[in-house]
Amino acid sequence: MSRQPRAFMTVLSFALLGAFARADESVVNSKHDLSAQGPGPIRAVSETEICIFCHTPHNAAPQTPLWNRESPRTHYRIYQSSTTDARINQPSGPSKMCLSCHDGSMALGNVLSRPASHPIVMTARTIPPGTTDLTSDLSDDHPIGFRYDRALANADREVRSPEVVSQDLPLGAHGEVHCTTCHDPHDNELGDFLRISDQMAAICVACHDMKGWNHASHSLSRKPTTGRSVDPTEQLKYTSVSGNGCLACHKIHSAPQRERLLRFPREEDNCLNCHSGEVASYNIAANIGKRSGHDGRYRRGVHDPAEIPFTMRRHVECVDCHNPHAVEHDPIGPVRGTVGQTVKGPNLHVSGVNLTGREINDSTFLYEICFKCHGDGIQRPRLRTSRQVSQTNTRLEFQLSNPSFHPVAGPRRNSDVVSLIAPLRTGSVITCTDCHNSDDARSAGGSGPDGPHGSLFAPLLVRNYETHDFTTETPEAYSLCYGCHSRESILNNESFPLHRRHVVDVRTPCSVCHDAHGIYRGQGNSANHGSLINFDLAVVMPANSPSGRRIQYEDTGRFSGNCTLTCHGMTHINFPYANTTRGGVTSRLGGSSGGVR
Amino acid sequence: MMKTSAAVALSGIIAFAAVGGLAWGGIEGSKHDFSKKLWAAGETCGACHTPHRDQPPKAVPLWDPAADLTRTFGRATTRALVPGSGTLMCLRCHDGTVAKETIAGVLRARFVNKQNSGLLDAVHGGTDHPVGIEYPLFKKGYRPVTSVVAKGTVVLPQGRVECISCHDPHNTAGAAHMLVTANTRSALCLTCHKK
Repeated sequence: MSRQPRAFMTVLSFALLGAFARADESVVNSKHDLSAQGPGPIRAVSETEICIFCHTPHNAAPQTPLWNRESPRTHYRIYQSSTTDARINQPSGPSKMCLSCHDGSMALGNVLSRPASHPIVMTARTIPPGTTDLTSDLSDDHPIGFRYDRALANADREVRSPEVVSQDLPLGAHGEVHCTTCHDPHDNELGDFLRISDQMAAICVACHDMKGWNHASHSLSRKPTTGRSVDPTEQLKYTSVSGNGCLACHKIHSAPQRERLLRFPREEDNCLNCHSGEVASYNIAANIGKRSGHDGRYRRGVHDPAEIPFTMRRHVECVDCHNPHAVEHDPIGPVRGTVGQTVKGPNLHVSGVNLTGREINDSTFLYEICFKCHGDGIQRPRLRTSRQVSQTNTRLEFQLSNPSFHPVAGPRRNSDVVSLIAPLRTGSVITCTDCHNSDDARSAGGSGPDGPHGSLFAPLLVRNYETHDFTTETPEAYSLCYGCHSRESILNNESFPLHRRHVVDVRTPCSVCHDAHGIYRGQGNSANHGSLINFDLAVVMPANSPSGRRIQYEDTGRFSGNCTLTCHGMTHINFPYANTTRGGVTSRLGGSSGGVR
Repeated sequence: MMKTSAAVALSGIIAFAAVGGLAWGGIEGSKHDFSKKLWAAGETCGACHTPHRDQPPKAVPLWDPAADLTRTFGRATTRALVPGSGTLMCLRCHDGTVAKETIAGVLRARFVNKQNSGLLDAVHGGTDHPVGIEYPLFKKGYRPVTSVVAKGTVVLPQGRVECISCHDPHNTAGAAHMLVTANTRSALCLTCHKK
């Protein structure tokens, strides 16, 4: 072999490569080459010209570019969404040109340059049903026919200003988005005639600027999605989460869930398709299905991103707590007791209701997300325990001005809680998820995902918390409380001197005397509802005291107080207690305690 | 082996040439052969050509002698089209007055008006391919001018697209619509358009 043939081969291969590259970037031999020599199944029977299906040099339709087809007279069902700021109109101009074939209403071979009686004979009269047939229902397709102007970008902060959008994506004469904004009918080099590749959502982010997307797991994760069946007819286009980008959840055309163009009509399916232990690390599907869970499958078709927390119907969906455009992996997980802990990766950029009851777009603290449903909403979960004072508005229960509350919304300055296990101390702040969490949560020593997805312990508690009367005290029975409050300290009566007597000897659960969240200042004060005292009325009955039948706790100083109530057949009337070892007041105030009457 | 493929290629070329030969054209018998018309008195070329510069051509009915070869078209505000003789010669008939195939739409009145203000409906946005327009030299979607004129089938007189860029009034190639070459696979369109 001399050098010459090799050189010849090189030249030849370059020539061939050149030929292929050229074929790719041209309408010739693309799917839009409808001539008899075209590559697709839909083509002319004998017509050899390529341009003629759309263009004619003479006597064209009065619209550029020398259009050779009638405009379809279809009235289209247009895209609607509760969250769009765009004013979407019937498609016009170039979009109608595309739709003259792609809405399936007009014969492919009907061109102006041929008499109507003699159209170009095609292998299919109209575009056959399938992904390319958009039909007259454009409500399941990305909207077109709206003006993409600065006003839109100002109204929707998650849309870029049109000036900064790539010149590769042309808008219409009046700044409208058309089919041709994303598609170049003459160039199929990138597939789907796209002007910019849809890999890693490149074409989407040219206009869409979702808050947090640049750092979101869904835009960065390289986890393989190979083989994910999204719907019976389609598999994900790319092989990794980041590669698919928006396409992992959204379908740009003919989306099964019209509004917001989602791949699945049922909200949670869009998440669980990957978060069921198959693509994502954690199996959320298994978690929400537990005995007590935030199960999105419970209510369908209720969630709306534009909903108002105060009036919405009761429901829960993944996206109520997570923003799929902004979620980030949190490698550390919650750190217990950190003061001023703000929301982390999984809950970034989620709307909420703050402590004062104002709706906010970006929750700073986790509890603000919880308050959306467990705060002022009109359909709050009902109470599990009937108590002296009832409060279903969790937001009110955690007010910092309350007589007593668990330090979720802010620290307490009360040094009475001597049972705290380090690193918790007076002034520490906890989160809702310190108690309400999946039982196998990572932060609780398990192997599952953090967060209140689902638990074996109702109401969605991270550990066991017995509320039944006559529960035998064991570390497991009040495992939830003992996670922060030292069992040793409690049972050694370090604060309330009769803890052991009540909890161990007469088997009274913590919940009979204590209300875990807090007592709203409008319903009690530090004298009668300090130390989270709010009796369970299923166990505690009123006592006949000289001042009438009543249940009353009275705080009389540090670790001292008195009770008037009937419980377990025992009646206390102004029954006093005091912790002498800790400097409490020891005087007996003439109260009495008696047996069953 | 090499010989065989060479032979195949050669026979292919021959076959192609033969097919081309079948469509051999020429003005005689074409629609531009006016020799049978009464006014032409048996002459084929006389409708458009005269042997002497100062001698007017044969009197074609409805011919407008005022239609000189320096007309410009287009609104004052838009880019004026300055068609050359390769267009104006054609428009003498193909403007809706004589020939059926009219550029400017079917008997479009605004073009029939042969004043200088007359609008040629062949500007961008019109219903006809623009003529008298400069071939875009450096524009996306257009091939380099050198490659357009390389083969000699498409001509760009003075760098402009004219009727005769695509049409051959003498029907030399015998292609449909008197095109300079057959538009199979839209080859003629794709000579200029890089689509």
